[in-house]
Amino acid sequence: MNPDLPYASRRRFLGHVSTGLMGVGLTQLLNRELSAAVSGPTIATWHPGSGKPHFPAKAKRVLQIFCPGAASHMDLWEHKPMLEKMDGKPLPGEENLVSFQGKNGPLMRSPWPFKPAGESGKQFTTMLPHMAAHVDDIAFFHGMTSKTNTHGPGCVFVNTGHPTEGFPSAGAWTSYALGSLTDNLPTYIAIPDIRGEPPNGKANWSNGFLPAKHQAITMAAHQPIRNLRPPREITSAEEKGTRHLLDFLNEKHAAEHPQESELRARISAYELAARMQLSAPDVSDFKAEPEHIHRLYGTDSPNDLKAAYARNCLLARRLLERGVRYVNLYCASRASGVDGLLNWDAHKTLKADYDRHAPVFDQPTAALLTDLKQRGMMEDTLVLWTTEFGRMPTRQEGTAGRDHNPDGFTLWMMGAGVKGGTSYGATDDFGRRAEQNPTTVWEYYSTVLHLLGLDFERLSFYHNGLDRRLTDVHGKVIRRVLA
Amino acid sequence: MTGLNVIFPRAQATGQLWRLAFAAGSLVSFALNAGAVDFEKELKPVLEKKCLSCHNPNIAKGDVILADAESMFDPEAHFVKRGDALASDLYLVVTPEEPGEKPSMPEKGDPLTEAETELLRQWIDEGAAWPEGLVLKEASKADKSWWAYQPLRKSFEFSESSFQERENPIDVFLEATLKEAGLKMNPPADARTLIRRATYDLIGLPPTPGEAADFVKAFQRDPEGAYVALIDRLLASPHYGERWGRHWLDVVRFGESRGYERNQIIDNAWPFRDYVIRSLNEDKPFDQFIREHLAGDVIGKGKPDIEIGSAFLVAGPYDDVGNQDAAQAAQIRANTLDEIISATGEAFLGMTLGCARCHDHKFDPITQRDYYGLYATFAGVRHGERVLATPKDVDAHQQAIAPLEKQKADLEAQKKAIETAVMDRAKKKAADFEKRWVRSPADRSGTDETFPPVKARFVRLVCEGNDSNPSVASGFRLDEFEAWTAGDSPRNVALAANGGKASGAARRIEDFPDAYGPQLAIDGKAGARFISAGNDFTVEFAEPVTIDRVHFSSAWNELTPEHRKFVFVADYRIEVSEDGKQWTEVASGDDRKPVSEAHRQVRWRRAEITKAETEKLAALSRELAGTDRKIAQLPKLPSVWVGTRNPKDAEGPFHLFVGGSPQRPGADVIPASLSTLSAVGPTYELPAGTAETERRLRLADWIVNPENPLTPRVLANRLWHYHFGTGIVDTPNDFGYMGGRPVHPELLDFLAVKLEENGWRLKPMHRLIMLSRAYRQSSDWQDEAGKVDGDSRLLWRFPPRRLSAEEIRDTFLAVSGKLDGRMGGPGFRLYHYMQDNVSTYEPLDEFGPETYRRSVYHQNARASVVDLMTEFDQPDCAFSTPERSETTTPLQALTMLNHDFTIDMAEALATRLESQAGNDPPSEIVEGFRLAYQRDPTLGELEASLAAVNTNGLRAFCRALLNSSELIFLD
Repeated sequence: MNPDLPYASRRRFLGHVSTGLMGVGLTQLLNRELSAAVSGPTIATWHPGSGKPHFPAKAKRVLQIFCPGAASHMDLWEHKPMLEKMDGKPLPGEENLVSFQGKNGPLMRSPWPFKPAGESGKQFTTMLPHMAAHVDDIAFFHGMTSKTNTHGPGCVFVNTGHPTEGFPSAGAWTSYALGSLTDNLPTYIAIPDIRGEPPNGKANWSNGFLPAKHQAITMAAHQPIRNLRPPREITSAEEKGTRHLLDFLNEKHAAEHPQESELRARISAYELAARMQLSAPDVSDFKAEPEHIHRLYGTDSPNDLKAAYARNCLLARRLLERGVRYVNLYCASRASGVDGLLNWDAHKTLKADYDRHAPVFDQPTAALLTDLKQRGMMEDTLVLWTTEFGRMPTRQEGTAGRDHNPDGFTLWMMGAGVKGGTSYGATDDFGRRAEQNPTTVWEYYSTVLHLLGLDFERLSFYHNGLDRRLTDVHGKVIRRVLA
Repeated sequence: MTGLNVIFPRAQATGQLWRLAFAAGSLVSFALNAGAVDFEKELKPVLEKKCLSCHNPNIAKGDVILADAESMFDPEAHFVKRGDALASDLYLVVTPEEPGEKPSMPEKGDPLTEAETELLRQWIDEGAAWPEGLVLKEASKADKSWWAYQPLRKSFEFSESSFQERENPIDVFLEATLKEAGLKMNPPADARTLIRRATYDLIGLPPTPGEAADFVKAFQRDPEGAYVALIDRLLASPHYGERWGRHWLDVVRFGESRGYERNQIIDNAWPFRDYVIRSLNEDKPFDQFIREHLAGDVIGKGKPDIEIGSAFLVAGPYDDVGNQDAAQAAQIRANTLDEIISATGEAFLGMTLGCARCHDHKFDPITQRDYYGLYATFAGVRHGERVLATPKDVDAHQQAIAPLEKQKADLEAQKKAIETAVMDRAKKKAADFEKRWVRSPADRSGTDETFPPVKARFVRLVCEGNDSNPSVASGFRLDEFEAWTAGDSPRNVALAANGGKASGAARRIEDFPDAYGPQLAIDGKAGARFISAGNDFTVEFAEPVTIDRVHFSSAWNELTPEHRKFVFVADYRIEVSEDGKQWTEVASGDDRKPVSEAHRQVRWRRAEITKAETEKLAALSRELAGTDRKIAQLPKLPSVWVGTRNPKDAEGPFHLFVGGSPQRPGADVIPASLSTLSAVGPTYELPAGTAETERRLRLADWIVNPENPLTPRVLANRLWHYHFGTGIVDTPNDFGYMGGRPVHPELLDFLAVKLEENGWRLKPMHRLIMLSRAYRQSSDWQDEAGKVDGDSRLLWRFPPRRLSAEEIRDTFLAVSGKLDGRMGGPGFRLYHYMQDNVSTYEPLDEFGPETYRRSVYHQNARASVVDLMTEFDQPDCAFSTPERSETTTPLQALTMLNHDFTIDMAEALATRLESQAGNDPPSEIVEGFRLAYQRDPTLGELEASLAAVNTNGLRAFCRALLNSSELIFLD
């Protein structure tokens, strides 16, 4: 295709090529995206899905842990001694604050004491004793801000860079940009919690307007990939017979249309599917994992929720190990009829709610990080911890919980290319608003893309009038957290 | 405000000398302006093009604004020092420090040319005169002279009368471009290819073997006549509306759930889908169709068939969570209207209006004022449902219901009279009652009941009224319930760890069934609690024991037990049993003080009411229930998701929002036409008080006004896009600067004019396009042509395509003989819908025959995934979708091989082949090929298929057929 021609197509994904396709690898064939989908000066030099970044990358793969429900920054990550001093007093300057659910009462200290952790001596909550061991490797973004105070748009915002529906998630962008690392498993996998889907459900791992192949495939230790096996008895002889005839028909049809690359790609897709049928059950078979690994993660915990999440953590490691590019792992689910029950949305009973959620999260997550380290995978795996926004320093009027706070919260990252032991940005003395180095979700993802070797301004896809980006029209790489 | 040199400190210190030299030298080399610089004419466009995209008041990048005199000449900022360019940061940052270097500004895009920087220098040195009140604005990349905004060409190089007889004008246009590129069209496709192509194109289904055979025969006799007859037959088919309606539903982002966090399913949006299908089948003039979309409730008031069109306005996703934070609530409302504005622009005008929400459109001549004029136009629209019925039906309904409503009111009055009498008597005895209530009320933090030791295997708590509503006995919560053995060392035998088993109807979450279960009340932990759905809670002990105390709570150790999260029992009984059948009361809350005034009243009533009164009330209630049943049995007036209209929302005044933020209102706006087209067609502005109905109607009329060139162009292009796979403009929703350019601008206008001449009816357009040689040519690849035009945009061949998700599923059903052809009505679901505050859509593993309808009738929920549909690129409908992707993935292969649906279809096809071709494998195989591919197998195919059938049975053959590429690719 000649880009100078006025009729050069702006976007065709699997174009009709006039060259032979012999010898092209399966994955490359499927990932082949014509450069016309990218605008600007990059057309000639970089192809999305080719496996190559814009520039040398620190991270090859991403593990994104998401704690839906707006996990409280001042109770989990950012110590606020002023709340201890002023517990029960009004929030200065915002005595009559009305937020998402209504009126707010006085300031409320964190129910869990903080104490120094790691060599950096960062004040860290005693609620997460296992996570404390990783403090020196984490880069905290304590000055995050969101555009919305509502869970659904908030989750979608932190996953797609847009608070409205329909945009591709970070994992989909990564799949689009870099393609797959393996022929045996999907590129992008979302692992929902045993308690259900996060707010806004599948929109959190959607491909948005990117082609459907960039959507996350959902699986979990409690939920295998769909359609891996025929649902009823088909003998292996029959299966073989069908596949044999199918290959014959498809090969013949493709041979009659030698220039239609889709037909060749489709044959490859069936071959890849066959490989996935072999690999996917293996990845969820934990029998080969030694006892000490099970104990490390807590898969044997009598707490069913913790054991389930621990198994998902173990699954995440096994997926990353086998070449899955992006894993989106959830710890907790949605707003139920009773808030704070199924996720971190502690409106009324912070202490009781987090006394249930923290033990589910703490040991398995810490174990996953430890395991990635001890296997040397942390060298080229970027780990993200995300939630949709923070919580208020006040108690919600008439309760012992906290309301939504989009004006200040914490996200963090660690692993490939990240400078551990960093705290970038901060909220004010109370945790109410980002004060030092306020950081947008777009800046956070600019940094993520940078670590993946991608220029956040160059990674774009035309949709309804704009070259859309993960970072919208914003973004900036936060260099202070780079190793 | 920061000076430019704070941001670019180097600009001040170095490069000065060179610049001086350059400035001096340039006087010689660029003696452009003998006289003074005309700022407005010469420099303003330069600054607007190269500086203002960042340094405008909305973005103010680096805190620098260059829009008006005030900021430009801010004495603290040193941007421009009048009379001294070399002391002016603005000049310094746009000139290179060293010759050949890139200047530090503009950061993105082309630097100023030497002539431009010289102009700037001269203007500053001359004193930087600024025209009074002038404000610079970023220029959009395209202006009103952009091709798409020009009037339709009505005369063409080829006049129609000059066409040779039977030459389709479309081919004349195409041939001309092909000739220029040194290409020519392929020869015609064969009959089997043509019937497959045309049938899928117009009705989205495969031709039957009979239709294919008849056509091939007729085609041999008279190719032209047979083909014309085929197209006419297909255009008359009711399936046409199902196929082309689906295209339109993509464009108008039609989805049947609300979206966002709650994403509740919408069960009454389907009438809009049926309306679209019906309108296309009727070949309703499209200008009328568009008017109905925007103002059907205005022009068709009282006519449900027309009013339903305006469901377009609320066919998109919206956030209905609600928000006590006023600023956030305003933002959500603005997002909702933005969704409607964007969809309107994209669907009808090919304009990306949403880009003008925060600032003037950067690429197209669409101002922020244009955008907010539409905001004011749609401000009265809210998502929701309302009754759609003719006045006659409304009247009839009123007539039927009125006597029943009266009967109901009478019965209620009788009941009330009895209740009042009881309470009047009770009040007089109040003092006596109070004497019985000696103990403290039930306490959420912990309530204790002791009783004489009793042997029991079971203990239960029976609620007679919860503490937030005395007449509701369910809904109470328990974080813990303990039962203690009598004696010196009491043990809590209710505890699960001690063998206790709890039961009791609990509130349930389908995908997390134990979330509120009774087990939570005997786990020894507070924090999570049992929520009753019935009126009791029972514990069975490991063995019969003697107990003398129970203790229970809903807010154990909570700081704010009064919160409604901890609803508890108020009036209750404790009962024990040895066998779980015979129960003995051992304690009750009857002698406790009531927890509230309402509870007190209920107790009075309970104490005072006579048996006769109770019976009378029961009789009245029975009668009332009968009346309610009769009311329920009356046919209901249909309530439809067409949105509500709220004139109060539309009152205004309306402002544009600076930076898109409702918290930063800017200039006043009124409903008006878009300035983009002001040069080519009519314009309007409506006074602020204009009714919201009128605003929408005026917009609709403006959009379909014959002078508006965009609407017919965009529509004609969509038709082309669906027929050939790619539009003449390959971005059907975007005819602006960022969109594609027309490959055949004249042809596009020709089609747009034809569309108008045909009274905006689509069927004659389909006929025109499909009778062209371009449409009828083969899809064969030609290496030489491919080198010039690999994507076949010039149409030297017919571009082959894969079937859409809907076509693939419908083909499975049609080929296997299972397709249920019923049209219209409520849709079917390929997912399981669950709701617990928010909604969850789980794809189903098995589909029953009730789902065997055409895919257009699937109730497509947002943010849901349905294997077969999603994987084959059915869009999520969060946005207007002008074109489908065509991806190929291993997941598709897994689904097509292994989903229960494929196996069902393969078995159904096998049964069909058996019954149609007897027990004769070769005939069965031939029939299978005819059904799937509309052709006979080759000898090789027959042999390979026979081998499969003979070894593994017909199903193995059928499953391969359904998975084969030929089934889902069209030449």
